[in-house]
Amino acid sequence: MIVSPTLHTAAIAALERAVNGALALSPHSRRELAALTGRVIAIDCTAPPFSVYLLPTASGELDLRGVHEGPVDTRVRGSGSAFAELAGSADPAATLVNGELSLEGNSAPLTELSRIVAGLDVDWEAPLVDTLGDVAGHQLAVALRGLFSFGRDAGRSLARQLDEFVHEEARLTPPRAELEDFYSDVQALGLAVDRLGARLERARARLARLGDD
Amino acid sequence: MKDRDTTHFGYREVDKDEKAGLVAGVFDSVASRYDLMNDLMSGGIHRLWKRFTIELSGVRPGHSVLDIAGGTGDLAAKFSRIVGETGQVILADINYAMLAVGRDKLVDHGLSENLEFVQADAQCLPFPDDSFDCITIAFGLRNVTDKDLALRAMLRVLKPGGRLLVLEFSKPKNPLLSKAYDAYSFSVLPVMGRLVAGDSDSYRYLAESIRVHPDQETLKAMMEDAGFARVEYHDMTGGVVALHRGVKA
Repeated sequence: MIVSPTLHTAAIAALERAVNGALALSPHSRRELAALTGRVIAIDCTAPPFSVYLLPTASGELDLRGVHEGPVDTRVRGSGSAFAELAGSADPAATLVNGELSLEGNSAPLTELSRIVAGLDVDWEAPLVDTLGDVAGHQLAVALRGLFSFGRDAGRSLARQLDEFVHEEARLTPPRAELEDFYSDVQALGLAVDRLGARLERARARLARLGDD
Repeated sequence: MKDRDTTHFGYREVDKDEKAGLVAGVFDSVASRYDLMNDLMSGGIHRLWKRFTIELSGVRPGHSVLDIAGGTGDLAAKFSRIVGETGQVILADINYAMLAVGRDKLVDHGLSENLEFVQADAQCLPFPDDSFDCITIAFGLRNVTDKDLALRAMLRVLKPGGRLLVLEFSKPKNPLLSKAYDAYSFSVLPVMGRLVAGDSDSYRYLAESIRVHPDQETLKAMMEDAGFARVEYHDMTGGVVALHRGVKA
């Protein structure tokens, strides 16, 4: 452990509180998480250096620990940005395979956990009703749900339109498919040049042998 | 003329037979406000120290755990959840008032099925040999009259491979921190004790007892002398507190 045990434990305790606070408002995610009871997932972040063990509990919470000396089902190692990419990925399994994370053990609990986190659907109504009463709480929850739903849809739409404008209208950068074709052509050209170089080398060697004869 | 068998009670030297009664007086006086005072004195950091202790304990479902000087049951409550229905946790304390506060708190939290409460002296533990997978003693060892005797008793009741974790105040490594800590302990703590628990003497004893408690390396050597293997310690909050861990070979 590089950081002091007190700071490391404080960070993990705060993270655990935040995660379980969000889970408490998402009963569906808690039920799914409870199915992972007994699994241990180790996250080793190399930059910034930080390790944490995730232990789902039977009550659908997530126990976070800085030290775990028992067996580990899944261990993932990588930089903070690589973990952020996994957390925000629409296809966690593909990101795990193609990304910059190294994986030891069984990947299934990790992809399942990532799917649960990505699908976290927070129900704002219960705490609002508890605090504001049935009528006002329900009205505010409906308004918030609408706002979040609008924000999510608007965000997706904006991203799609921006993508289209940048690639197709303004031609600021080539589309992903074109770029991949270009990289593929460059790779093929590189291989062809290597082959040509090898042939030239062989021809030069043969000429040198003929000259000696 | 120094043939009396004496020990420390804070900065005072008292007869060994006298210390347990004096310590009992301290804890009888503070038991009802113990948790509140811990939060105030440490700014809540004692929860992080205890959390780290639990992480290092390696306790798993089905284990048997003895929490000595368990007081108001912070560690026992966590262990009770970890060991589950197949495990067992014994909360032991020499002081009846502390044990009663701890028992009431844990029962109020719905934790009692795998918990037992035992009034016991750490020096002569009333349990068979090789009984526990893990023993913890948090902020209790410095109050024990004969620490060597207590460590040997803990070793006896641990199962082979079992772990002892001693969480205790220790010696800060940084001289600046050490000075600030001294000023806080001897000026602020007794005032806080008087205002919140109505007892400044007990909190003066707390500060004094910490200063006469063995430092990190001395306690490590004591645990090794008692027969523990693979003894190591982790300083926390600059060495204000240290967590020692040893294994019964």
